[in-house]
Formats: sequence, C-alpha cells, structure tokens
Amino acid sequence: MNYRYNLMGSRSILRAAFFTVALFFFSSPVASGPDQTGVNTQEAIQIVTSANSRSALPMSQEEATQLFLGYRNRLNDGTLVTLIDLPVGSTRNHFYQRLTNKNPVQVRATWSRLVFSGRVRPPIEAGSAKEALEWLANMPNAIGYLPASIQDQRLKVLLVVPND
Amino acid sequence: MNNFTFNAFIFMWVLLATSSPSYAQAPSSENDNRETASADSAPADTVNDEASPVRFQFSGFGTVGMIYTDAKDLHFIRPSLSHPCDQNPDFSPDTIIGVQGNLSLGQRTSVVVQAISRKNTHNNYEPHATLAFANYAIAPFLTVRAGRMKMPFFMLSETSYINYANPWIRPPTEIYSLVPFNDLDGVDLLLSDNFGKWNVELHSYYGSSSAHVYRSGKGHLNGSGLNITATNGSLTLFAAHGEARMSMKWNDKYFQDLSSALASPFVPNGDRILQDLSGDKGRARVSSVAMQWDDTRWLLIAEYSQLKTTRYTPNAQAWEITAARRFGNFTPYLAYADFAKHRKNGTITSEKTGIPDLDAAVQAFTASRNLGQSRTTVGLRWDFYRNTALKLEYSHIRIKDNSWGSFLPTDPTNIRMENRHVNTIGASVDVTF
Repeated sequence: MNYRYNLMGSRSILRAAFFTVALFFFSSPVASGPDQTGVNTQEAIQIVTSANSRSALPMSQEEATQLFLGYRNRLNDGTLVTLIDLPVGSTRNHFYQRLTNKNPVQVRATWSRLVFSGRVRPPIEAGSAKEALEWLANMPNAIGYLPASIQDQRLKVLLVVPND
Repeated sequence: MNNFTFNAFIFMWVLLATSSPSYAQAPSSENDNRETASADSAPADTVNDEASPVRFQFSGFGTVGMIYTDAKDLHFIRPSLSHPCDQNPDFSPDTIIGVQGNLSLGQRTSVVVQAISRKNTHNNYEPHATLAFANYAIAPFLTVRAGRMKMPFFMLSETSYINYANPWIRPPTEIYSLVPFNDLDGVDLLLSDNFGKWNVELHSYYGSSSAHVYRSGKGHLNGSGLNITATNGSLTLFAAHGEARMSMKWNDKYFQDLSSALASPFVPNGDRILQDLSGDKGRARVSSVAMQWDDTRWLLIAEYSQLKTTRYTPNAQAWEITAARRFGNFTPYLAYADFAKHRKNGTITSEKTGIPDLDAAVQAFTASRNLGQSRTTVGLRWDFYRNTALKLEYSHIRIKDNSWGSFLPTDPTNIRMENRHVNTIGASVDVTF
C-alpha cells in the first residue's frame, strides 16, 4: 500500500517537473520589465479625451495616476470615466512606467486587486491605437492615451506625460 | 484527479494558448493593427454606440497549483477552504478558476457577479458565488453595496483567490485561516477620497457569513467592522477591526467521539466543557494591521492579525513578513510566518473533568483546532508570459506544541502532529484574463 502510494507520488512529481520544464522551454522571454524598451521610447505620450467632453480642465499628474491605477474612477465633478487602454505593447508599457512608475506586471496586479474585489471596472482595451482614437473621439466620457504624434481635432489633450 | 480537475487544466491551457502574443512581439503586432484596422469605430460587441460606454465586461482568474508534502502521514490542508486529499502531490488546495461579470446600469449603478470553482470543504467542485452585489454611487466618493461580498478581515481577504496579484502561491495560511469565514452577506459602504498623493479608503460593513467546516461542521457569524486603507505611490497601509457573534458546531470524528464521552451525566463539568467547545453563543473580535511596499525593485509585505474569541476556537495571533526583489521577469522571495495561540487564553476551555484520560482527550481535541506553526518559505515567481506567472516555492514548517498546524493526519488512529518539522514543495501557474 505504502509502496503504491510512493510510486504514484513520484510519477506525479515527474509529471509536474516535465510540465515546468516544458513551460520554460516553450515560453519566449517577455519584455515586461521596466528596462525593456521598445520602439517609441523617445516619444511623449498624451492623455486625451473627446473634444466634446465636459471636462475642460487640464489634468494633474496625481489625478491621472489615480485614474490609471484605478484609485478613482470619477472626475472631480463626479463624471464616471471610461478608461481606454492601448493593446499590450511598448506605448502602453511606457505610458504606465512614466506616469505611475510601475511595470506591466505591477500594473496588472494592481488592477486585478481592484477589479476582482469589485471596486472598479477594468479599462477597455482597444485593438489598436487607431481604434482607441475612434473610441476616444466618439465617447464623451472616455479618457485614454496616445503617442503625442497623433493629432486629431476631435480630441483634446488633458496632460502630456513627458519622457524620462 | 477527477474529471473536473482535468477539465480545468485543459481550460487553463486553452486560455494560455489563445491569449494575446507576449510583450516581446507586441510592438510589431500593434503596428500591423494600425494599418489593417478598419476605419470604423468601436466593435459592436464591446461598445454599443457613441453615447453609451461598455455595459458588460467579463474577466477572470485562475491557478493550477500543486503541493508536495514530505511527511507521508500528513495531509496539507487550507482550513475552511480545502478538503483533505489522498494524493501527494496534491493539486486540490490551490487549483482554482474564477470568472466575473461587471454590468453597468448607468452612471451610478452596477452589478458585479463572481463565481469560483475549487475543491471545497464538501470535497466537490461545485461553483460558489464569491461576489454577487449591486453597487450604487451615492456621491463621487461614496459607494454603497448590497449582496454577497468577501469578508474583509485582512489586507488581502477580498482578493485572496487572485494569486496572480501576489508573490506567493497562496496568501499566508497562518493569517488567512485565522477566521474560517470567507463570504459576507450584507451591506458595505466604501468612502474613497484623494488627499494630494494619498488615496484613502474607509470600508465599513455589516452582515453575516456561513461556513462549512470539514467534515460536516457548521459555523455562522454575524457582525460588522471598519477597515482603512491608505495608498501613496509604492506604499500601502492597512488597518482593520471587526466584531461578531459567532456559532461554531464542529462535526468530525474527533469531536463526535469526545462529545459523546463528555455528554455522559457522570462526567463532572462535561456539559460546561461541551458548551465551550461547540455551540452558538460565541463572540469574536478580529484586528489586523498590514503594510505593503511595492516599487520597481522591491516588494515588501508585512501583516499582523489577532483573533479574540470567547469560545470554540483558541485566541490566537498570526503574522507574516515577505521580502521580494524583482530582477526583470524573475521575482525571488523570502517569507516568514507564524501562528501562535495566546499564551494565557489560548485554550478553548479552562474547565477540567478530573478524569485524566478524558482531560487528555479534551486537550487533544483543542490541539486539532490549533493552527499553531511557524513557516519559512523561499520561492521564485517568473512572469514568463502575458498576464501569467509561474511560481515555485519551498517551505519548512514547524508545527507547535498542542497544535496541528495546517495539516491533518492521514490515519485518524495514528496521530502524531505536535512539534513535527515538515517540508513542502509547491508549484503553480496563475493567470488573469
């Protein structure tokens, strides 16, 4: 009886070890650390909203940080904000790194805590910068971020997040 | 492993396989998207029209985890969460899947539903609603919620199943098993405001909670509490206090044997001892303080909690401290945790029968309710894929005097628990989606 128990145990360990090694083997290195830079590192990133949005004021860095880390979901006038995220990539990573000083894993962990404790809704992820631009232009209470090179009359800039 | 575990396994793998490409490839795919995306605005399934933002959002989390215990006569168990399992390594304590839906009903109201499936104390995988509440914003800084929430006694209580958000495979069992109540059915108020760089949240709650305790015991709690969380950049401070009326009716082999002996009219103080061990006239107070420092290099977590009860479980305190250092996608960590029953008031009953064998049996029973242990853990978290973490950890656990720690004996007739040294090895993969 004991012998069978042991054998089952060691087979399971082997299976788990194989599973672990396979994961290491097949996964590619991930550029999630703060020091992994992509293509747009030199470009400033702007926080934008619809030109029709009621919130006319520029946004402070603190207010922007609290919005994009989920510590608030409303503007000072009470307007409920819908956050628009870019797809995972260097612009998104650099935006959060510069604004909040957190890497993608930390940002994801912070949002997971808030979303799964039922505090806030997660940001909506656009499929591309172009899609984000269209959403931002058309949804009055949406706030998102785009490379500063993207200019569009339907948007107004709330804050420019400078380069390091 | 039964069918469900297997299905959960497959499901997690499909999720992994179909989730978006890793960060390394993302910049190029983003450029591709820019060129190929149609000029039309939002897709119909996420954004309805210009005026209304997304109404429904779906998200989820999961862990596939295993733990190997080097003592053949002990089961690792997460009291109040898991059921002892004959397999070693055991996949049941940590493997979990959870899904959540957020439905917005205008500017002020929303509904949140979250359900999990994990091997529970009934020894099945029946889905369980962990959140099911309606949320109303009375003012921009004040929200009231009513329905099923999580019992928020400790810093990570409300996200104790979201292992991705934490460095370890599981939150410290010493603290998070101090109180066997996980749900809160009632109302709460969330007052959240920003003061310069600080965000402060006051969380008050009132409600009840029921717990099923291995093997067919039942607990019930009815109370209220107040928590405060202050966050400034990398630093989070937390303090909590809750008070409740509590009932706890054990029902397992050890308790059944002991209670039938104590119920005999010829046993002095037998009825009084029984009233101390099990019943519905208990009171409990839970207090907790915690901090977390999370910058780009270091993750430091410390928490201290204490439980004071009038009966049914020992008065106890638990604490843990963790230091983790980030090296790119690798985060090695070191943790120490301790659960100790109160030195003077740590016994469930102070009454004696005067019958040596029976008093020894009472003491043995109270030891089985005592989670006293100290634990040293070294581990490694590897964020190897988007929204996915692999964790490996080794723990050395010392079970204390008059205590079973986080273990149960595999053979109820051969119980050797106290002062044991036990090693465990764990591995897990966590995802959020």
